[in-house]
Amino acid sequence: MKKKGSKREEGGIKKVSKLKSDLKKQKWLHIFVLMGVIWMIIFSYIPMGGIVISFKNYRVIDTIWSAPWVGLENFRDIFMDDMFLPIMKNTIGISVIGLVIGFPLPIIFALMLNELTNVKMKKFSQTISYLPHFLSWVVLGGMMINWLGETGIFNDIMQNFGIAETGKVWLADKTKFWGIAISSGLWKELGWNSIIYLAAIAGIDPGLYEAARIDGAGKLQQIWHITLPSIKGIVVLFLVLSVSNVLNVNWEQMLVLQNPLTLETSEVLDTYVYKMGLINGRFSFATAIGLFKSLVAFVLLITANKVTKKLNDTSIL
Amino acid sequence: MKKKLILLAMVVLFMGTVSVLDAGGFSLFSKKKKKAEAVTRVNVDPTKPGWQQDTKEVELDWYVNFGWFQGKWGRDGASQAMTEATGVDINYMMPVGDGGQKINTMLASNTLPDLVTIGWWEGAYRDLIEGGYVYALDELAKKYDPYFFEVASPEKLGWYKEADGHTYGYPNASYTKADIEEGKDSITSNYSFLVRKDIYEALGKPNMSTKEGFLNTLKKAKEMYPKVGGQPLIPIGFQEFGTGESSLGGYLQDYLAIPLEKDGRAYNRREDNEYKEWLKVFRKVNALGLISTDVFVDKRQQIEDKMTQGRYFAILYPHIDALQPLTNIYNNNPERMYISVDGPKNSMQEEHTFPGPAISGWTVTFITKNCKDPEKAIRFLDYMMGDEGQKAAFFGKEGLSWEMKNGKPEVLAEVKEMKTKNRTEYDQVHGGDYMNWMFMDNAMQERLWPAKLEGPTAQVRSYTKGKIQPRFKYERWDPSGQEKEAIIKQKVDLRWNSTLPKLIISESDEEFDKIWNSYVKYAEKMKYSTILDYQTNKMTENAIKLGLN
Amino acid sequence: MIRSRGEKIFDTINTTIMLLFCISIIYPIWYIVVLSFNDGMDAMRGGIYWWPRVFTIETYKTVLGASGIMTSYGVTIAKTIVGVATHVFFIGLVAYGLSKEDLRFRKIYMGLGLVTMFFNGGLIPNFLLINKLGLLNSFWVFILPCLFNMFEMIVMMNFFKAIPKSIEESAYIDGANYLIIFFKIVLPLSMPVVATIGLWNGVWQWNDFFSGVIYINNPDLQPIQTFLYKIISQAGASQMTANLPASAMQAKTTSESVKLATMILTTLPIMLVYPFLQKYFVKGMMVGATKG
Repeated sequence: MKKKGSKREEGGIKKVSKLKSDLKKQKWLHIFVLMGVIWMIIFSYIPMGGIVISFKNYRVIDTIWSAPWVGLENFRDIFMDDMFLPIMKNTIGISVIGLVIGFPLPIIFALMLNELTNVKMKKFSQTISYLPHFLSWVVLGGMMINWLGETGIFNDIMQNFGIAETGKVWLADKTKFWGIAISSGLWKELGWNSIIYLAAIAGIDPGLYEAARIDGAGKLQQIWHITLPSIKGIVVLFLVLSVSNVLNVNWEQMLVLQNPLTLETSEVLDTYVYKMGLINGRFSFATAIGLFKSLVAFVLLITANKVTKKLNDTSIL
Repeated sequence: MKKKLILLAMVVLFMGTVSVLDAGGFSLFSKKKKKAEAVTRVNVDPTKPGWQQDTKEVELDWYVNFGWFQGKWGRDGASQAMTEATGVDINYMMPVGDGGQKINTMLASNTLPDLVTIGWWEGAYRDLIEGGYVYALDELAKKYDPYFFEVASPEKLGWYKEADGHTYGYPNASYTKADIEEGKDSITSNYSFLVRKDIYEALGKPNMSTKEGFLNTLKKAKEMYPKVGGQPLIPIGFQEFGTGESSLGGYLQDYLAIPLEKDGRAYNRREDNEYKEWLKVFRKVNALGLISTDVFVDKRQQIEDKMTQGRYFAILYPHIDALQPLTNIYNNNPERMYISVDGPKNSMQEEHTFPGPAISGWTVTFITKNCKDPEKAIRFLDYMMGDEGQKAAFFGKEGLSWEMKNGKPEVLAEVKEMKTKNRTEYDQVHGGDYMNWMFMDNAMQERLWPAKLEGPTAQVRSYTKGKIQPRFKYERWDPSGQEKEAIIKQKVDLRWNSTLPKLIISESDEEFDKIWNSYVKYAEKMKYSTILDYQTNKMTENAIKLGLN
Repeated sequence: MIRSRGEKIFDTINTTIMLLFCISIIYPIWYIVVLSFNDGMDAMRGGIYWWPRVFTIETYKTVLGASGIMTSYGVTIAKTIVGVATHVFFIGLVAYGLSKEDLRFRKIYMGLGLVTMFFNGGLIPNFLLINKLGLLNSFWVFILPCLFNMFEMIVMMNFFKAIPKSIEESAYIDGANYLIIFFKIVLPLSMPVVATIGLWNGVWQWNDFFSGVIYINNPDLQPIQTFLYKIISQAGASQMTANLPASAMQAKTTSESVKLATMILTTLPIMLVYPFLQKYFVKGMMVGATKG
């Protein structure tokens, strides 16, 4: 006859049996998820071991194991660099301002697109809007150098409206660099970034709008009370992710648009690493920076998620 | 929170485990084993070329680390002739775009093919040798083809001899001291200081090599020709500033004949006084509004476009990079062609000193230890480097592309015409003119089969004759790769690159001096003198290698 | 439907802003199209704004006539179709599993995945892995390493979470297991997000040139972007031989014009495919769900 154990043991047995029944019920779900985990182990975790080279002095002729340890030297190399502070300032500055201005815009664009009554206009605008996403910065940058040059079309327009001085080379002005970089980046990605919000809006039950209209709500009120709350989940998701991405500035864009007159405001982390590291095959250095950026992004993500959890009561994770 | 820490710990443990597995021979991150030596197939008579005696047909994979190369072996007459002669068929492998990443991945995983060609300046040069990926050519030659030593230039073999006494790579486009002496009248350089012929002549062909002459000419040019085709004239242009020194760095120093060594030591040209004074001239030029801001912003494409539009009066730019605009103008608007004239000279008005062809050559080719038939490979090299190989590479297949006339090979008339009218077809059918350039010996070619200078670059090329300064001693004297000195040099260079434009746009000589001094202080702080020491040591080594005093 | 004056004003402002935005995009793209149809050497002389001055299809002929281009298109089409299909289903299944808040060990799974979003070994370790797996020079290198993406999984998961539990509950009670529920109910209701992820991945697969550069040596397996990238760098070749190449003399294509033409050729397929996907971005996908 089984001895009656303490309450804890009973609770323990109950827990195990609940676990077993849950697993049975969720069998398929676990299979689904495990497929992903196995993939991750093979394609993410195994190569992730290579991160150790940020603590080594790795040359391609070594194996990852045989390369000599150097501890934090690679990290010291970047943090102690006199360019480090200006670079961080530029990277974070461009990113944050770009985020503050650039985050709401695709949402607003999606809303506006959604509200267009002329269907032809809607399809047309949508298709046109994401085209710049496919232009390469190499070509776009070259065109911008022409258009923003002394005799470029931008100056022509400005002069016609009597705004700007004669023949200014805009890309030579270091105070204007951030503005040019941010606005061109925005223009390029606006349409593309709005796609996900359009998808979210597509999932809203039109019946809600009907009901609101009957109740006498105007366009703006409908947007405020129905559309926005319905896409809140996706908006928060992208916001959190964008925040965690703050050290990632589009370095191809920066490389093309920067020139020696603007380096103080146009040199960012990735362009510096490219010039200092990758060109010479300094993989350890580049990996160390990569690790630094990853850590920052990871911490920002967890923090941002915690904050939104407190404010919203839902986690995106 | 605790769960997160556990998670993090698991991950770290995981990553640690994987690294350890590497050591345990799991061989995820380790490399393939090296092959065992094969038995000699053919014992060759050392008095005759090895390639004539070994007729086995072999296919070799040849990695050429240049994305712009579009060769395809076997399609054109030249490579067909080479296969007929040696029995070797080649499969060219090129990276897409810049080869840097491709070769690094091949090195890391030891997946190199049979032959490899890279630039002598590339980091991979050291990696290939130090990592033990390649055979010593002299060892292979001793074992399989002693005739190799008859074709290979002893100076070139000596130049590329490593500390262990072996030579691993063989260069192309390499000139020995004797070659340069012989070719004094035909060797040209890529340097130029271009001016628009029509404006230059209208101004009375002024002397632009003195400081006042330079400044005043630019001023007058701007006054007389403020606009070109509706757009403002750009009195003086330079190479792209981008991340480099543009043409105001070493390029200008070469024009000013500033020496590379003084009193047996490597000389810090950057801090030379003559050079500094000329930079001040450029500052004045800018202060007079004669340097337009776009020269700092423009990238190569914009510069080429502006040159084609004839917007520069003068431009300090190597003509080799201006080939497309020069060709464009030559064909469409020859009246405003650019010509090369004397540029800035030092206070003693010494002749310009242009770097010329070097003994380092251009690219170096190796036989890797993964080669499926190193015996055949060394004999193949023997062929490529000798007269027969050079003839095939330069002229093409006999009968198809050329024939013997009076004991000298001569290109068939219709082939010559195809070369000028339809180069693409010429490349695909005939493939001569060193389309397969990896072993090209320009010195030999110029000696045996000299070509005439013609076309858009005729004048700019012939201008450089006689101004070439051999720089053997200073070749390959920069620290490279991940050496400590290389990193110092890079940091100081980066700082210099951003200082240069600041010097030019500074508003007064006092400001100029301030900026100058802050650079000098930085270089001192970073111990730039160690770079000079490094260069001096290399220079001494080089002198010994070349048998110079 | 009678619209109030407020709605009409809103609509007018909306339409005007859209129009201006579209013009700001159309002109640059038109400019690129015009330049790509202009003789490359002539284009260097500048001054072209609205229409080609020296019309030529030479640039396009050079690009489209390059031998091997058809094979490359084939490779890209294949990798996009196979890649997107496998990618979307794979992620969808994982996302579905993780969308259940009561899933056991959920936090651990999420944690594992989150780390992969941020931490990466870099070029060399990834290359070594692909090499060891024997995926070098294989078509599957375009498919297997791209099967999964944690970020996209999170996006899909959030969409799945928004589906009312009642629908699934009733199906489960009727005896369906999760596999059937996923394919028969959840997926059809999630077409907007499926279309979005499909589009993202499709564009990624189509535009990917890096895999071709690093992992593929066999020219028959090169996707179109790698192929085009190769053509661009070859067109820009300033033959560095000491001898003057006569080739420069009659080149009508320059590396610049080739770059522009390839950009147009890249964007075109997407423009043609997108209309088919647009219907998924239209209001009212959930209509049937709540009423039915």
